[in-house]
Amino acid sequence: MTAFNEVSARIVKFLLGLRPGSVRESGRSYDFLLQQINRRRAQLHEIDGTQLQAIIHELRCQAWNDSLLVEVFALAADQTERILGLRLFDVQLLGALVMSEGKVAEMQTGEGKTLAAVPAICALTLASGGVHVLTANDYLAQRDATWMGDIYRSLHFSVGYVTQQMTAEERRKAYACDVVYATPNEVGFDFLRDQLCLDPSELVHQPFHSVLFDEIDSILIDEARIPLVIAGGDMTPPEMAHRCATIARRLRLNTDYGIDEYARNVHLLDAGAAKVETALRCGNLYDLRNVQPLTAILDALHAEALLRRDVDYIVKNNAIELVDEFKGRIAENRRWAAGLQTAVEAKENLPLKKQGQILGAITLENLTALYPRICGMTGTAATQAEEFFKIYGLEVVAIPTNRPMIRVDEKDLLFRTKADKEQALVEEITCVHATGRPILVGTASVAESERLSARLRQAGIPHHVLNARNDEAEAQIIAQAGALGAVTISTNMAGRGTDIPLGGTPPRQRQTILDLGGLYVIGTNRHESRRIDHQLRGRSGRQGDPGSSRFFISLEDDLMERFGIREALRDRTPEVEAIEHVQRIIEGQNLEIRQTLRKYEQIIEAQRRIIHAKRRDVLTAADRSVLASHAPELFQRLCLDLGGIRLAELERRLTLMKIDEAWSNYLADVAELRCGIHWVSLGGKNPLDEYLHQTAMSFERLLNGLDEQIIDAFSHLQLDPHGEWAGLPGLDRGATWTYVINDQPFGDLGERMAKAIVQLVSQTITGQ
Amino acid sequence: MPEERSPLFSSIKNIFSIPDLRNRVLFMLGLLAVYRIGAYIPTPGINHSALEQLFQAQSGTIFGFLDIFSGGNLRRFSIFALGIMPYITASIILQLATLVVPHLEKLSKEGELGRRKITQYTRYLTVVLTMFQGFMTAVALEKSGGTGPQIVEAPGWYFRFMVMITLTTGTAFIMWVGEQITERGIGNGISLIIFAGIVAGLPRAIHDIIVNVQQRTWSLFTVIILLVVMILVVAAVVFVERGQRKIPVQYAKRVVGRKVYGGQATHLPLRVNSGGVIPVIFAASIVSIPSTLGVVFPGTFMKSLASQLAQGMPLYNLLYVTGIIFFAFFYVSIIFNPMEVADNIRKYGGYIPGIRPGKRTAEFIDRILSRLTAAGAIYLVLVCLLPEFLMTGFKVQPIPVIGPTLDDFLASIGMSWVTTGLGVTFYFGGTSLLIVVGVAMDTVQQIESQLIMRHYDGFLKKGRIRGRRG
Repeated sequence: MTAFNEVSARIVKFLLGLRPGSVRESGRSYDFLLQQINRRRAQLHEIDGTQLQAIIHELRCQAWNDSLLVEVFALAADQTERILGLRLFDVQLLGALVMSEGKVAEMQTGEGKTLAAVPAICALTLASGGVHVLTANDYLAQRDATWMGDIYRSLHFSVGYVTQQMTAEERRKAYACDVVYATPNEVGFDFLRDQLCLDPSELVHQPFHSVLFDEIDSILIDEARIPLVIAGGDMTPPEMAHRCATIARRLRLNTDYGIDEYARNVHLLDAGAAKVETALRCGNLYDLRNVQPLTAILDALHAEALLRRDVDYIVKNNAIELVDEFKGRIAENRRWAAGLQTAVEAKENLPLKKQGQILGAITLENLTALYPRICGMTGTAATQAEEFFKIYGLEVVAIPTNRPMIRVDEKDLLFRTKADKEQALVEEITCVHATGRPILVGTASVAESERLSARLRQAGIPHHVLNARNDEAEAQIIAQAGALGAVTISTNMAGRGTDIPLGGTPPRQRQTILDLGGLYVIGTNRHESRRIDHQLRGRSGRQGDPGSSRFFISLEDDLMERFGIREALRDRTPEVEAIEHVQRIIEGQNLEIRQTLRKYEQIIEAQRRIIHAKRRDVLTAADRSVLASHAPELFQRLCLDLGGIRLAELERRLTLMKIDEAWSNYLADVAELRCGIHWVSLGGKNPLDEYLHQTAMSFERLLNGLDEQIIDAFSHLQLDPHGEWAGLPGLDRGATWTYVINDQPFGDLGERMAKAIVQLVSQTITGQ
Repeated sequence: MPEERSPLFSSIKNIFSIPDLRNRVLFMLGLLAVYRIGAYIPTPGINHSALEQLFQAQSGTIFGFLDIFSGGNLRRFSIFALGIMPYITASIILQLATLVVPHLEKLSKEGELGRRKITQYTRYLTVVLTMFQGFMTAVALEKSGGTGPQIVEAPGWYFRFMVMITLTTGTAFIMWVGEQITERGIGNGISLIIFAGIVAGLPRAIHDIIVNVQQRTWSLFTVIILLVVMILVVAAVVFVERGQRKIPVQYAKRVVGRKVYGGQATHLPLRVNSGGVIPVIFAASIVSIPSTLGVVFPGTFMKSLASQLAQGMPLYNLLYVTGIIFFAFFYVSIIFNPMEVADNIRKYGGYIPGIRPGKRTAEFIDRILSRLTAAGAIYLVLVCLLPEFLMTGFKVQPIPVIGPTLDDFLASIGMSWVTTGLGVTFYFGGTSLLIVVGVAMDTVQQIESQLIMRHYDGFLKKGRIRGRRG
């Protein structure tokens, strides 16, 4: 009984918004709770509809307390069974318990995570007042909300979902629901738009209560630092972009420009600078007035030399689409920092899109911090447990599988050259294909998947290709990927969340395939993060099916090049074990980098909150007037001209705009400051200290200067003949996107730190 | 150039209103107190009053200088007698070694992990140095004392071994204390320990002044002048220490079409005095070698050399000044490689407006740096020599050929104070002053950034609570 009390007390503590301590507990303490839930579930199973209604009604009338946890779980499980005809396994309930305790449930792929979340969501909603369930894409949000909707409604919870195409009105309605399914991006963009609205009626969000992340590692680790950006102000891209693209095409590596060792940055050499000066006829390129052309040319060079079509991006429907490194699919709405995006468009001879000044930004990590309660689930969290705990205070609990996993993960095969590797790949595929066993090949990029496809065609092996270019066919290809004799070449797209049914849909000859050994997963590259590899492997051996996986890697792979492993292994016999070790180092270093950068970001996030709190005060409180208190004469004069109510309205809108403008400029200043802050170490100062000092000072200036700007704006007030204020700028605030953070030209802090990894890796490899 | 400071963050009151920061400051003060207590625990086997006499006789030698760093520990020969100096020596040695030893050079460029390894080496080297120094000190103590009372009560191997172990343990302990302060307290622990040693003498100095005034040795007027001079000197030191030339660095703009607000965001801050107190330490150690040898190996030649090189003698001053200037340039050339900096700027799309990246930029930086360092070296010379002149005067008599004439001439026009000094003990010597100011400034900046972070942390946490009530 004590175990039960302890666990349920901890869960309740979390549900009530108090963070639990960092105690690790054994699985046994959950057992008692599970028994209770199952016993209650059995009781409920016998009860008829009307009686059940009474029980549900009674539950909903009570204020949240300890004893309700078992009841909610039992009811949710019972309703799931009644409505969907699916019985929740104990492991699913266990996962739900872990989540309702505010932890990360690591559940193996194919164990029915979506369903497992339902009891946790019900409990969280009841305890906190609302839950956002954040999923990987719009399709999943809509599917899950529709699929699970009846369960929630049967328990008298309202449920809604948000997708990209929705209007503000639809969004407002959705967010008003108890349970909201959405993507983190949509929630973030709505949050940013809310922070820019000029009238309280435009707000769409309700206060945040709880959040449950599906695929939590993908969101909180892989994408945590990608800023969501809202921009406006309509700036035409520089007409110079096309000219620069032409010039950049003519410049040659190592004579005109250089690339740093790890292919992250380009710089002009003297000869190149001279050529550019002649071509642009601009005089000294390094003169202060030539900042624009210099920026454009460096962007063009970066686009030309470092960004590869069909690897980093694809061209689709006459537009640049970025490929998400982790997911292998098109990253909707993602782009490079302003100039670089334009440069890539110019490189591919596409129409240039307009750019805007950043009006607001928030990273997913900071967005997450706005929720008092966080929990989530994923198939791959264990390797990142340290990070989950350090950054988010989230503990990871591994949930056992319903049936034992019997997939065989075979040892990697390592080759010296890419050619050797591809040869072996084709042979292996031919060999296994002959038996009829289905094969899934995971490649690193669109280009690689197509190259392999060509080789297989030569070898006469029928296959399907799934990559960012033909994502419309995804569902169809995946449905048949498990069929007898199927060969599917894919990018990381077929990783996370993809369920490949053995025998295809509808299943045929399933037993034959089981006898052959199930799905064979081949990876053609190791990824920077082991989780991505595990996700790919996880496509095989689902729900106790047999299966196997193997990685084919070569010393010429991107990973090896990028971290100098190839160089380090030049004169040695490469060892497979070393590679996994390297991955661990890279993960550790990436964590360190993220932690350092976090320190730089925290102060800005705190300032953002201050600004937004101030903004909210202005937005909602109508009677506050800077004018009246600071410039009474002007106030009185304008009052006579415009009338009190209109003046108040005008002042409110103007104040909001001034705040937005100041914040936007401040963000740009900070971005610039970060470019060169590391130099202060030459003066014997700590860059972080100096950064804090500088940003604190200029933020204070920003706050102090606001009132003055407002008064100033009013003293130059111009009214048009209709008595409308002529000078009110109309900002286009529609544009939202996310930024790529790995590929910023002009090296940010993270960039510099990344170098350390390379050195560390090569050191480990050579064993010094 | 003085920068603006926010009143919001610099009030001492704030320190104590933030629990975490308060704890850090208290932790630091607590450990410094432990250090000071240890400074009064004597090393056994020593006749301390005899030792005191020895020190009074040798104020101009390396011992007097080392005593600054040990915070009077050497004089009292406490268990911390060697103080933190071996650690400083070890760091200097390793820093120089990174220039010549390829393995260390590689390490030094490997970021955090490499630095940690170098710190580890520094610790080992410190222990080795301390053992050696401890042993030598024991031997030296046995030999010294001459006609006076014996310093060592029971010479022999047992004594030497005991002193060696005691001093090594003491220094290792201080090293640990210093690192603990850096990690869990605030400021740089090692610097703060030196700082504490120097400042610990302050109350006594004040007491001395009061006694002097009471006994009418000094007039109140002298004291006031003295205080004003001191304040001015400290202010001047602070001013120069903060002085830097900001070379603007322009970065290719990431944000297109934006006006530039508030001037240059990025610059290379080149300090007037990049080396801090280090050139002085180097110069002083080298200049005092002959007079120290004079103590250890008595002989006619050494004796005359030592007397010429005693503090305040023209030859001493000449060597001292040359040393400071030399090491100021030397140190800057070690820590600052213009070519490397120029390459680094270029790699990240930066440039100094109007100047081509690469070689031209390196030359530009080099030129400015040379001029700054020249000014910095002159400043160091002034700070270090002026107090000495005030104390001992500028002895012109031993200067060859014109010396005696000049001496007579100055005496005849009533300016004999030039040669004999004002007879005023300037509490802070130049070296101490540089250290104290440097450490104080560092620590204040650290406290300040802690204050800023805590200030904003409040907002980050507030958001959470607000959300919870939501």
